Parts: sequence; structure tokens; C-alpha cells
Amino acid sequence: MTPFVVMDCVLLTRMSGLPEAASLRELRERVAVCGENVLYHHFYETLLRPSFDYPDYHNDFAVWAKLHLADPVLAERFGVLDPYAFSSMEELRGVMLDIIDERLTTLTVVPAVSRGSEFYFFEADTVVFDTGDRICSPADLAPAVARMTTGSVFFHFIEAHRRDPVGMDDFSAWLLHFGEETSACREALRTIDFAFLTLSELRSEICERLAAQCL
Amino acid sequence: MEKSLLMYEACAGTAAIRQLRMLGEKLSGRRVVHVNSTREGGGVAEILSWMVPLMRDLGLDASWEVIRGAGDFYSVTKSIHNGLQGFPVNISQKGWATYHAVNRANAEALRPTLEDADIVVIHDPQPAALLQLCGGRRGKWVWRAHIDISHPYLPVWKTLRTIVKGYDASIFSMPQFALPLPHPQYLVAPSIDPLSEKNRDLPPEELDAVRAGFGLDPSRPLLVQVSRFDRFKDPIGVIEAYRLVKKVQPVQLVLAGGGATDDPEGEEVLREVMDAAAGDPDIHVLLLPPDAHRTINALQRVADVVIQKSLREGFGLTVTEGLWKGKPVIGGDTGGIRRQVVDYHTGFLVNTPEGAAHRIRFLLYHREKMRSMGEKAREFVRENFLLTRHLREYLILFHSILSGSSEPRIYV
Repeated sequence: MTPFVVMDCVLLTRMSGLPEAASLRELRERVAVCGENVLYHHFYETLLRPSFDYPDYHNDFAVWAKLHLADPVLAERFGVLDPYAFSSMEELRGVMLDIIDERLTTLTVVPAVSRGSEFYFFEADTVVFDTGDRICSPADLAPAVARMTTGSVFFHFIEAHRRDPVGMDDFSAWLLHFGEETSACREALRTIDFAFLTLSELRSEICERLAAQCL
Repeated sequence: MEKSLLMYEACAGTAAIRQLRMLGEKLSGRRVVHVNSTREGGGVAEILSWMVPLMRDLGLDASWEVIRGAGDFYSVTKSIHNGLQGFPVNISQKGWATYHAVNRANAEALRPTLEDADIVVIHDPQPAALLQLCGGRRGKWVWRAHIDISHPYLPVWKTLRTIVKGYDASIFSMPQFALPLPHPQYLVAPSIDPLSEKNRDLPPEELDAVRAGFGLDPSRPLLVQVSRFDRFKDPIGVIEAYRLVKKVQPVQLVLAGGGATDDPEGEEVLREVMDAAAGDPDIHVLLLPPDAHRTINALQRVADVVIQKSLREGFGLTVTEGLWKGKPVIGGDTGGIRRQVVDYHTGFLVNTPEGAAHRIRFLLYHREKMRSMGEKAREFVRENFLLTRHLREYLILFHSILSGSSEPRIYV
């Protein structure tokens, strides 16, 4: 059986080149034209960035709407967006624009922020590398995950959902090769709702679930 | 003793160090040259004094060069520095000629090293013109701006922009500090060194001695703000907050800042603070020498609550220092303090003395909550604002610009 290759990833944020947005209307204008990497960063990569681990929402647009635009309705609508439920970034962009347009039509005054609270549009350079670690059997998976960096957890468990096989983490995809004996384990991993966990918490959760399935 | 990564493993964690080693391994042997204008004194020299040895420890061929100039050069670069921060300054043609002449003279000496390097990191504006003087350069050049240049005095920026736009990339500490440039602009937040005199663990007897030395009562809560005497740090607002708290709690306040200064406004603010504190033996205004790092460290550690009630702030490393010492921080709702202080988790953001007083009272009353917030604060800094994260981000940048790829994802 092919061993599991443990990868790691780290990112560095950079300015996208777009001007910052100081109002909901400006946010709409920028979201409509920004690159896919920008949307990707603000929806998917927030967990990997040096930042506080316990925001109310896990995408930057929802956090900004709540903390700076002071629009809890918009924050809730952005906050519930699950980026992994969209087949493409364009589809996600379309839904975001619909939410903003709907909000703009119901508000009498376009919400804006004071100086210092603007939304900055970022993207990131991500470096992915092979750690040299290999996992040879399902029984070794839990202890190996416990030793992983949060970057490895992000790469193999969260970001994996966007790679083939789409919608599945790398651990489950590897366990598939071991047949029916790992099915309970894969089901345990599948039902982790990672939207509300920090990467460290997710690592612990994966280990606990694997251990509970005697792996 | 030269610093090594091993020394940081206990603070930063094994996984973080291992990650750095793997990133460094793939850059092994690469020649990296940092250039700035001073070997000692100031934040940039402080950063390079740990960063260069740690890069070497990771296998990079890293070195640190310092340009040399006479007094008139530093007068001009001080004006450039002030101009970039928005102060209207007049830099004559002769001044710019001095700037270029000193860069030319340094280029003569440094050219072989710089042109041969894989990566050159130029810190701040003083050595920025070296780029144009190293026509045979084979590596990538990065300009690292350590200051806020977002609202510059335009005549100064117009000239400097013609110089820095030629770089392959630039680095800013915060997005709010940057201006548009025709190359990638990376964001690398500052960090603290957990083993420095300012941040290392101190023995309890040293804390007791500092407490006794300043006449602080160990049986009553202590509020501490460490910052220079500057209106933007709002020391008078801190005294107002302290007075509001004192109506219900027998607190003490320490306002600790730099010593004698040639900044006339600093002296004026200090006088105002002394006047405001006069007659209250529980307000301790401490004028400390610039090298009183251990004393500052001890004061932050004996504090119950650390305050940084700034009205305007850059990143706010004194906040990071307080959080690292396991203290919730009451911080002004501005600048980089917003990135560090999260209500009910690592402290509270406030906008007024009344707001500060309200949150201080909350923390002093909810001691268990205060303790758990302090623990979370320390872990928050461990994950995000130690020098190991800072170093990691430089390594990512090096991988990224050396790859020459325009793709956001680089496999190494």
C-alpha cells in the first residue's frame, strides 16, 4: 500500500492592489472585479493567517460586516456561506454580490466605516512542501496527526476538500484503500464540522475520532 | 552568544521550529544580504541582530551589511524619514545629492556582495538607492519599510518612489502603512523576541525587588501603561480611567516611559502628566533610561492589568509584550492594537477613559476570567507574534520570489 505523504503549507499575505473599501457599495465594486485568489484568501485561507482564532465568523467579509460596518444582518448572511459548498469561485462571487445587492436595496443609507476601519483586499503566496514524514498503516494515522503542524492539518483536512476526490479529506481518501475495515473511521471524519474549530482544535478532534474507532 | 533556533524551541514549540528547519533546508546555501544604516540602536537593528543568526542556523548564507555616512547624510535621511511619515520637510537638491553620494560610496564597497546575492533586503529608505547602483545584480531585491508611509509628505515620496519602484517586492508591517507600488507588497507584522531582556521570564525575587524599589503595594491591584510620553498614547486619559476605578477599588497606577528626550512635545506632555498625578501617591510616573528593559519587563509582569490606551498607534508592540506576560490588555481601539486585543478573549478595546475604567473594573472583579484571558493572550502571542513567525514569513517570501512563479501556490 502507498504510504500517506505528509505535506505542510505556510502562507504569506500580500496586498491585492485593489483600493480598500470604506462602504458597502465600495465593497460590492471591488468584489465584482477582484481576482479569484483574493476571494479565495478571504474565504478559505483565514485559518492559516496569523490572526485571532475565535472570530464569530470564519470569512473576512462577515467579520468586517459585523465589527466595522456594524451590519449584523449582512454579517449573518456572509457568515453562513460555506465556501466548500460552491463548485467555483465565480459561483461564490455571484452569491456574495446577490447578498450585497439585496442588502443595498433594503437599506436607506449605505453603511460606511470611519477611517482606519476599511476592508483591505489581500491575497497570499502559499508554500507547500513535503515534510518527509510517511504514514504506513491506518493505526499510525492518529499519532501522526497529533504531531502535525496546523499547516499540515489545513492542507490535508480542509483544503483537500477542493482537490480530487472533491469533498473528501486526504486522510479519508487514503483510508479508502484499506477497504471496509476503515469505513466507520471515514464516517467519523466526514461528520466533523470544521467551520467552528481552530486548526489546533481540529487536530485534536481528528485524533480523538480516529482513536474512538480504534485506529 | 549567537542565537540559535534550539533556544526558541521551549517558547515557540517543536512543530514551529521543525517547520522553519524544513523551509530553511530548501533555501540552504542561498546568499541573503540584509542592509540597513545602523548596527546598534533602534528596532531594525534589534530585528536583524536575531534574524541574521537564525537564518544562518537554518542553513542560509545570511549576512548583514551596514552603510556608512557622515552627519549630513543622517540629517537628510532623518528628514526623509519624517517626510515619509507626513511631516512637511524641505529636502534641498543638495540634500538629495548627499543622499545619493553616500549611497554611491557604499555601493563601491558593497557591490560585489550585493550583486552576487540571491536576495538583498534593504531596510528603510537610507540604503534604498543601492539598487540603482548595482546594475550587475543577479538576485531579487526587496525593500522593507518599517515605518508608516501611508500619508507621506508628497515631495519626499515622489522622489523616493522613483527609487523603490524598481525593487522586486516590498514589505510593510500593516496594510494601513502601505502605498501603491508596481510590485508585490507583502505584509509581515512585527514580533517580539521571547528571550530578550524585555520579554524573558524573570525570577520572583527580581519582581519583588522592582515592586519594592518603586514603592508598589503588593496587596493592591496594579495598572501599568508602558509608553513614551506622547499625546497619542493618552497618558492623561489613563489617569482619568484610574481615578474612575479608584472610586470603587484601591488601585495603583504606573505610567512608565522613556527618559529625558530632545522632543519638546514629550517634555510638555510629561509635565502635564506630572501635574495631573500630583498629590496622589498611588500614581507612579517613572522616567526610565532607554536600556531599562528588565525593569519594563518586571513592571509588566507585576501588573494586574496592562493598559495601552492609545488614540493612534502603529502596531503596538507594548501590547504584544503585555499579552505575552499573560496579562489581558485594555487597548485603544486603533491601529495594530485591533489585531491583538479581542474583547473577552485577550483584553478589551476602548475608546474613552470611561470605557477603560469600565473594563478595568470588570477584570478586577472577575479574577478567574482575567486569569483565563491572560492565558489565552499568551497563547495568542505564541502562535502569531513571536519572532519564529516573523522568520517563517521571510522564508516564505524568499521561496516565493526565488520561484519566479506568478502562481499563488508554490510547491518546493
